[in-house]
Amino acid sequence: MDSNKSLEAELKRVKQDLASYKIELHQTRGYLQCILQNSQDMIFATETGGMLVSFSRGGEKLLGYSPAELIGTYIKDLAEDPESFERFFISSQDEGPTVQFDIPFRHKKGDTVLCNVSLINLMNREGQRVGTVGVCRDITMWKKIQEDLVQVDRLAEIGRIASGVAHEINNPLAIIAEASGWAGMVISDAKGLNPEDRKELEKAIKEISHQTGRCRSITHELLDFARGSAPELTEFDIHDILRESINFLRPELKHTSIEVDTQFIPGPLPIKSDPKLLEQVFVNFITNAIHAIRSKGDDKGCIRIKTLTTDSDVEISFEDNGVGITEENQKKIFQLFFSTKAPGKGTGLGLPISQNIIKKLGGTISLDSKPGVGTNLTVRLPLSQV
Amino acid sequence: MNEQSTNRIIRVLLVDDEATLLEYLSKRLLRQGYAVKVSFSGEEAIEAAKQEHFDVAVVDLKMPGIDGVETQRRLREIQPFLQCIVLTGHGSIESALESGHEEAFQYLLKPVDYDNLVTVIKEAYEKKVRLQEEKFQEQLDELRHRGMGPRGMKKAIAELRKIYGF
Repeated sequence: MDSNKSLEAELKRVKQDLASYKIELHQTRGYLQCILQNSQDMIFATETGGMLVSFSRGGEKLLGYSPAELIGTYIKDLAEDPESFERFFISSQDEGPTVQFDIPFRHKKGDTVLCNVSLINLMNREGQRVGTVGVCRDITMWKKIQEDLVQVDRLAEIGRIASGVAHEINNPLAIIAEASGWAGMVISDAKGLNPEDRKELEKAIKEISHQTGRCRSITHELLDFARGSAPELTEFDIHDILRESINFLRPELKHTSIEVDTQFIPGPLPIKSDPKLLEQVFVNFITNAIHAIRSKGDDKGCIRIKTLTTDSDVEISFEDNGVGITEENQKKIFQLFFSTKAPGKGTGLGLPISQNIIKKLGGTISLDSKPGVGTNLTVRLPLSQV
Repeated sequence: MNEQSTNRIIRVLLVDDEATLLEYLSKRLLRQGYAVKVSFSGEEAIEAAKQEHFDVAVVDLKMPGIDGVETQRRLREIQPFLQCIVLTGHGSIESALESGHEEAFQYLLKPVDYDNLVTVIKEAYEKKVRLQEEKFQEQLDELRHRGMGPRGMKKAIAELRKIYGF
């Protein structure tokens, strides 16, 4: 009798315990479910061989698939490189509790999604591995920012070195300029110099002074780039600046059969910006176009310069039918010191400086080029600066 | 402007630690009819200014010892009408402007263009002469108001001339 009673009591206690365990279990499950469904991360579980058995909502967002599409497929097939994923997957089974690595996944639409992946073995009570749980965080943006930062850092470093070099070169440059100026004076005052020699010497001196002037503008440009002086804004007609830029390059165009075709909107196009800086950019673009056409070999070609306006912007496009730029080089042409021209022909400063200038003036540059067909550079500038 | 100033040879003091540069710069200026004195440091320039009068000083900003801004400040303490042209490297112009904005006649970026430098030297010279004559006239008027006799007047004017370096 007593034993019956105690059994009953025992049963009651067990029932109570069970009920409270049930509640606890329910709560824990709710808690886990909440984490699983609200995490931005992709959280998945697989059986031992890597076949997906669960896939979180964060995963849906990340890769564009619904769980229904994925359950029963293999997780490795979502990676860009299934083989290397498989290697990680297998290594995660022997190594410590969690294994982390960065691996690119493929979005349903085809984009690459770089993820930091942690894999954890899922064990049963007997200590046997029954599957794997993975937590994947999208680090695409982070990686991109990191790369940009490295790039910015490198650019700043190059700028620092370049401005140091430019500073050092300025002094000898000044001496060359003064010494040649002095030589010029001596020659022009010299008596008993035969006219032909005088002419030769004067020509040489003129050349020296012209070339030192060129060096000076390079060092100043470089230092401008490294320091970034503020633009001087005035109102002017952008057509005037374009015509001046073309005229500036007339000597260069004279010996070619390159045609410059201007398709400007009628009348003046007033804009508030920095005319000097813009002229520098335009001259640079047209020079590049001339080079691109001449590199084609036939020396014939056309540079088409168009202007357009929208409500708030001016669009100036420079189109040439020159050699064009390969896709690979298109990525590099705005990098400092990148040049495809022969040594001594290009400094690799033109485009990065131009881009810097346009950025400073609140505009953008866009590039469209096909190798063998030609290049189109379009500058968009605000009509007036705020 | 009276004849006294326009016919005068412009006296230029060049201050730079780059001796070779000064050699050619001074040769060119000399040949064009300027009176030129070269100093290879700020200290040397200050000593020179104690000995003789100059109209315009061309001073390099960056020199070992006292720098260009300080040099021109001290030069003007000795010769208040002296106009200083300060040559600066790229980028140091802002800092130079902060420290000596009112005092220098002009800041020029190195390497300077010779023709441009000559133009600025002439402008600086004209400013110097103008300021100097205004002050001279002012003090002369003051002397007259004091009602000096002709002899005392002559002596005072000679004294003034000496001060102004006429």
